[in-house]
Amino acid sequence: MTKLDSLAYLKLNKWQKFIYKLKCFFCAIPGWLDDKIRYINRFFKKLFFKIGETFVDVWQTFKNGSWSTKVSFLVMGFGNFFHKQWLRGLVFLILEVVFILYMILAGAYWLSMFGSLGKIETRTEMVPSDLLDGELVEQIYYGDNSFKILLYGLLTIFFIIAFIYTWRLNVKQCKICDQITRAGKKIKSSGDDLKSMVDNDFHKTLLALPVAGITMFTVLPIIFMILVAFTNYDKNHDGLMNLFQWVGLDNFNSVLTFGSGMQVAFGEILAWTLIWAFFATFSCYFLGMFVAIMINKKGIKIKKFWRTILVMTIAVPQFISLLYISNLFADNGIVNATLMNWGWIQSPIKFWGDGTLAKIMVLVINIWVGIPYLMLITTGILMNIPADLYESARIDGANAFQQFAKITLPYMLFVTGPYLLTSFVSNINNFNVIYLLTQGGPTNPVWGDVGGYVAGDTTILITWLFGITTGNDANYKMASVIGILIFIVVSVLSLVVFSIMPATKREDDFS
Amino acid sequence: MASVKLTNVKKIYGKNTVAVHDFNLDIADKEFIVFVGPSGCGKSTTLRMIAGLEDISEGTVEIDGRVVNDLLPKDRGIAMVFQNYALYPHLTVFENMAFSLRLKKVDNDEIYKRVTEAAEVLGITEYLTRRPRELSGGQRQRVAIGRAMVRDSKVFLMDEPLSNLDAKLRNQMRAEIILLRKKINTTFIYVTHDQTEAMTLGDRIVIMKDGYIMQVGSPSQVFEMPDNLFVAEFIGAPKMNTVHTALELEDGKYYVSPFGVKMPVDGDKGEALKEKGVEAQDIILGVRPEHITLSNSKNPCAVPCQIRVNEMMGSELHLHVTTPTDEPLVIRVPTVDILPNQLAALVPGVRIYVTFRSKVMHFFNAQSELNLLTMPDSTEEATTKESPAETDEQVQPENK
Amino acid sequence: MTDKDIKQIEENGEMITVVEFGLDEQKGKSKSTKTEPNAIEIDASGVEEFLERQEAAQIHHVRSAKEQSQDNKRHGSQSKRRLVGNTIIHIVLAIMSIIWIAPFVFIVFESFRCESTGLAGYIIPHKWGFDNYIRLFTQTEFPRWFLSTFLMGLVCAVVQTVFILAMSYALSRNRFKGRKFLMNAMLVLGMFPGFLTLILLYTLLNGWGLTGSNAPYGLVLIYVASSGMGYYVCKGFFDTISHSLDEAAMVDGASKFQIFYKIIIPMSKPIIIYTILMGFMGPWGDFITARFMSDNDPLGFNVATGLQWLIGETRVDKYYTTFCAGGVIVALPITLLFMFLQKYYVAGVTGGAVKG
Repeated sequence: MTKLDSLAYLKLNKWQKFIYKLKCFFCAIPGWLDDKIRYINRFFKKLFFKIGETFVDVWQTFKNGSWSTKVSFLVMGFGNFFHKQWLRGLVFLILEVVFILYMILAGAYWLSMFGSLGKIETRTEMVPSDLLDGELVEQIYYGDNSFKILLYGLLTIFFIIAFIYTWRLNVKQCKICDQITRAGKKIKSSGDDLKSMVDNDFHKTLLALPVAGITMFTVLPIIFMILVAFTNYDKNHDGLMNLFQWVGLDNFNSVLTFGSGMQVAFGEILAWTLIWAFFATFSCYFLGMFVAIMINKKGIKIKKFWRTILVMTIAVPQFISLLYISNLFADNGIVNATLMNWGWIQSPIKFWGDGTLAKIMVLVINIWVGIPYLMLITTGILMNIPADLYESARIDGANAFQQFAKITLPYMLFVTGPYLLTSFVSNINNFNVIYLLTQGGPTNPVWGDVGGYVAGDTTILITWLFGITTGNDANYKMASVIGILIFIVVSVLSLVVFSIMPATKREDDFS
Repeated sequence: MASVKLTNVKKIYGKNTVAVHDFNLDIADKEFIVFVGPSGCGKSTTLRMIAGLEDISEGTVEIDGRVVNDLLPKDRGIAMVFQNYALYPHLTVFENMAFSLRLKKVDNDEIYKRVTEAAEVLGITEYLTRRPRELSGGQRQRVAIGRAMVRDSKVFLMDEPLSNLDAKLRNQMRAEIILLRKKINTTFIYVTHDQTEAMTLGDRIVIMKDGYIMQVGSPSQVFEMPDNLFVAEFIGAPKMNTVHTALELEDGKYYVSPFGVKMPVDGDKGEALKEKGVEAQDIILGVRPEHITLSNSKNPCAVPCQIRVNEMMGSELHLHVTTPTDEPLVIRVPTVDILPNQLAALVPGVRIYVTFRSKVMHFFNAQSELNLLTMPDSTEEATTKESPAETDEQVQPENK
Repeated sequence: MTDKDIKQIEENGEMITVVEFGLDEQKGKSKSTKTEPNAIEIDASGVEEFLERQEAAQIHHVRSAKEQSQDNKRHGSQSKRRLVGNTIIHIVLAIMSIIWIAPFVFIVFESFRCESTGLAGYIIPHKWGFDNYIRLFTQTEFPRWFLSTFLMGLVCAVVQTVFILAMSYALSRNRFKGRKFLMNAMLVLGMFPGFLTLILLYTLLNGWGLTGSNAPYGLVLIYVASSGMGYYVCKGFFDTISHSLDEAAMVDGASKFQIFYKIIIPMSKPIIIYTILMGFMGPWGDFITARFMSDNDPLGFNVATGLQWLIGETRVDKYYTTFCAGGVIVALPITLLFMFLQKYYVAGVTGGAVKG
């Protein structure tokens, strides 16, 4: 396609502009993909180059290094001791000793079992008991524990990588020490090290604990669960009584093979999840903005009162209002009872019993939950829109609606673009609203009962995941497969949105 | 109370973005030096390297004869005033000024003494208990200076301290800085993009562009004898008029023909050219607006021009005119020299005649843009190079 | 008019005014005959144009004044329209307020109902009393749930705030190797459903005896450990603090640590209060983690799981009004705290939304 210069573009009418933009967007996709592929290519090239460089550097350090450096290749921290950096030397040495001890005592075993996830099954035998005069009793002989093997094997791999990194650090420091000695300068003492912990390296001190926490409680579990997706870990193969094994892509096959029970359920639930997230996000967004504009309008009295009432509903913990409302609309709840009393209906409306009605109810109640929150956010931003924009628009002859469409909305979308994405993602994972209102029900008769959990019309992926994990079958392998699929959906979405969004704001722009 | 010496200082960002090239400068004790240049010329970066807020990629910075490259800002004996004042908003004026002393665990009485003394000098005693946001721009600026004063530092660094003030206040503060300098009597390094500030404040001015020093010299030096076209255009407002023309040599006399009007170069400038043995060549001729005189059609060297815009400034009149070759020219005439009826007649569309005095002409080589009178003799070398790197050689700071 | 000259000449069919200076300097006193004594009568095209423009501007001025008076006339009907519009908006807002406030009024009413304990088809109790509240504290584990949630909230408020501040400051104020990687990694980690991690964490914490009835201890570990990932809003705030403050402090002789606690922390009061508030409220609203970790053991519940458990299928008839009482007891202090600190909440939430 031909690219128009900016003046030729301006000559187009509204329609042509739109079509031109659309064309540009689609024509840019191959280039964009190409760019990404190139980027990945470059990344790997750089990575290999860096690894190669590291090897060369290590070799050079060894070749040119002093004898203390050479010893440090075997005994970590020796170079630091030699240069009187007691603290660093001690840390290195302790790390090395601990690592070697761990590998000998445990690590080697876990690592060797990692490929098979355990060989010896747990078995029960009837054996004559000594206490009961030779009567036969059940005796359990525990075999390998697949769960532990997977976990500790993973940890051991973590440790090995960390150790290699530490070793490299040790070599690098020896090299630096050598260089400084050669240049005849003073080497940092342990005291300097301690001082820099609150000064130049303060960020390391600050990051240590939070990052350790994240590694232990988020990174490790997620990698573990990704691995679980490739095993047959579930209630029948719990790893302790029955070993579980690597099964390759079997689990993914069963979810993604067309026509299988799992696939139908997954497709239905994914579709509803996306519909739900879309409507939940945008209905709240626009209605919340609308309410904010209404309250902000000139001439509205007791603005603070209206706002306070709405804000109060944010303050009440969500689960209370959700649980209460869920019961409000129960078959024998207040709404149905009142309507029957008034004689408007003969039999209770099954708000939670009918699939479509339940879906609508969930969306409506989510609007009830979401409006105050968005009212609050948008009020702040609306006030930030420069008043002279409106004044100039009024002089140009724009009416109230045009002002909204041409000024307010574009400004809001621009400013809250990233927020909308976050909000969409958190709605995909909005467990509370769905679970506390309907628990995912009403059960769908066609595809509702697969994967060891009863799924319903309002079930979204995250509640499905919860159900599968806590259900009778405790189908962990499927749970992790679904978790990974959620991740893929979310990340693809974010990538697309971020690449469409006009010039993502850089953090340095704010400083 | 210290000299500052920069030797081959370089700043490289990332892999190959060079912000400052080979910066060499000797700053004498108690000298007031001004770094001036357009934004992005590396003047602030250089200052921040002296302060220790940026790493020095190459070269050395010495303060008082000691290499300070590896020293932290606090150990360099410097004080700094920032463009946006950088006052701690949660502390009172007193605590703002006392902050560094408190960190040094200076005795409370001593702190009180020093802070009140500085406040007295700056006339902010009555604001000592207020917070920065309760102060006006000028007062904040004074607090920022006061904070630097209490530290008794050897070098005073100021990074565009006046650029956040309005024009009137800026003039006032400029005068106050001159007074302040007499009072504290220490080495000043002052960064600004405003050539007026540079001319009025500096003992010497360092004019920078794209990370290179273009010229170092006293205000009158850089004004009267700019080393190159950039300096010539940068210093002085409205900026110098320039025109491409040829320098001709006929019978031992030099001629230029700007705007198609041939005129001789005589007087001092002619002598100087002769002395230097300058050859005939393509040049850029520079004439400052205030050095153009109004003339008449009888003058054979006068250039006829048509007025496009007339700007009446009160004491002077700025005329934007077009020359016969359709090039713009700016003329600045003091109004006292013109009769009222003629002043009224100087409106757009009117034709006037102007002449350039050869005494105030500046000649620049058309390729290298270097001043013919100050450029090194090896003209071949100078004209073949296109990057300004070679200009460094002749901007070595002259020893005072 | 002795030494200067103004004249008009014709060139290419156009009249041009010429002003000449210093004529006598060149020609001596001999005056040219072309001298036009009356200099005021110049007819330069430029001057004319200028005058025309001024006139036009005046006319325009008059016209706009006329328009204004018309505007004033129109204004009358406009203000009437606005009045009607505003009335409608007031009514809409009033109806909205009722809809939003009603459930909370209902729950308070129902919590005082004495005559029955299950779902009832009416709101206003026939018999008022504190029976439900008494039953809540004597016959259920509610005091335990409340206390453990409260304590979890306190621990989170403290530790989480420290973690987030540390993380935000490190990422906002330092440009170190691996910073981008760290931020991207956390972005990617955030795309995994957090629930996924619980499967392993449950097994781990179960091994240490921190599940079931001891769940609160395990829960607090889980809440706190990964809280560094919620650094975004706080970092956004730090990013807006000018870097020259850090630099000024550095020149003044402060170490990074001193800059952190003497400059940045005192300046960040609103965002710190927001972080504390969020930390404290987190455990009150958490359902999924608490439910999973407590393993359906009522002793290990927090208020959310506990109250939900009270109105489970089998218990709803017996405990429905008790649940209402529990809801009131939980909502009251949280709402008060929230309304008290509302300003900071709004600041944090708005900042977070704008920065994404």
